[in-house]
Amino acid sequence: MSTPAPCKLKASDYKSKTKPVWCPGCGDYHVLLSFAKAAAQLQLRPEEIAVISGIGCSSRIPAYLNCYGFHGIHGRALPLATGVKVARPDLTVICAGGDGDGFSIGGNHLLHACRRNIDITYVVMDNEVYGMTKGQPSPTTAPDWDSKIAPGGTGVSPFHPLVIALASGANFVARAFSGDPNGTTKILVDAIEHPGFSFVQILSPCVTFRPDQREWKNQVHPSPVTPTTDASQAARRVMTDDGFNIGVLYKGDRDPYRQTVGRNIRIERNIDEEFQL
Amino acid sequence: MNDNAENLAQSFSMAELLVHALVIEMEAVQSYKELAEQMRDCGNSEVADLFEKMSGLEAGHAEKIIEKAGDLELPELAPWEYRWAELESPETIDLAGIHYLMTPHRALKLALENELNAMAFFEVIASGQVEEEVRSLAQEFAEDERQHVAWMHNWLSKYPPPDDDWDYDPDPPAAID
Repeated sequence: MSTPAPCKLKASDYKSKTKPVWCPGCGDYHVLLSFAKAAAQLQLRPEEIAVISGIGCSSRIPAYLNCYGFHGIHGRALPLATGVKVARPDLTVICAGGDGDGFSIGGNHLLHACRRNIDITYVVMDNEVYGMTKGQPSPTTAPDWDSKIAPGGTGVSPFHPLVIALASGANFVARAFSGDPNGTTKILVDAIEHPGFSFVQILSPCVTFRPDQREWKNQVHPSPVTPTTDASQAARRVMTDDGFNIGVLYKGDRDPYRQTVGRNIRIERNIDEEFQL
Repeated sequence: MNDNAENLAQSFSMAELLVHALVIEMEAVQSYKELAEQMRDCGNSEVADLFEKMSGLEAGHAEKIIEKAGDLELPELAPWEYRWAELESPETIDLAGIHYLMTPHRALKLALENELNAMAFFEVIASGQVEEEVRSLAQEFAEDERQHVAWMHNWLSKYPPPDDDWDYDPDPPAAID
């Protein structure tokens, strides 16, 4: 008797029955769609995927996907994702969150996750604001963004996530735009397939606290250059672009982290001895 | 920003035309359905009902295309391989145009834009270097879309434009004080 071929999964199969509570018009709806399309394109079984997030509007995404998920604590999505990947290297681990979660409270984790180069894809839905807590400036907010909570702007230079990721050792760096769900799907597929730590910044408008971001769709444009394997060249390009170049910027060839050290038997024995009655 | 606009006028086979036509309708079904849910969650039931109705209509169109395709095997394309003129398929509502206080007039204007985009899409294919039977079907699809455009205009006439302050919210999601 032959085993029946597994059914081909559609993008809709990756969406859970939980309905998103994002504001109508939020860019994150399209990111969710791109996640589902990317998983369908790769024909990953839902039980082969783990989506780990922190806190914020975009960090709600694991609930809306039909796969393993962990809605963690603020800024700690990457340590959680690292733990999952090290414990279960067979899983496709995707870490997701926003610019506040990933670049502020979780900023230090970003540096070390890039450096470790574990085979994880980290997706940051960047809307340059803390949307969930009602519109405070985030690390990527322009210094002159005038708001009720920061009259006249913060005057603080924004964090440059792609350059930081390159400098810290990320093995794949790309920028996408949520309003281009098919292009974003392609970038996510490339990021997931690329070995090592992949970092994808998705410009995802917050229509409630940053209605000006509705204009992003008229500002984004494809990156005019092909991806490079030279991190310093990629960093120079990113430092001098207008922030709206969309595409894969860097594809590194560094070997991903592999767990080479086994269990430390000596330490284990000592602990056993210590706890002996 | 999509290079595909230039590819549109290039040759389409019958199967390619059908798969594009089908995906246009299926993505519209999904998009309208999700927008209806979003509007209902915000208490905007009038627009939610309208989007639900649109979703139903598009589902009907999708069924007709499936019927037309019959036994013809349609190609499996990756999402980025479709030759859309814009970033998304022509009948998918642009999220940037969505607002939780939008009126039926605004919703119908967006839907009208979609139908016009779809009509233009098929017209470009029909005017390209394609086989006669493909041209004929593309013209038929363009004609269907023209009819939908007429429906939208008719519908719009029943919903006058809103006042200038249609997006006024007495209790807005304001930044914290």
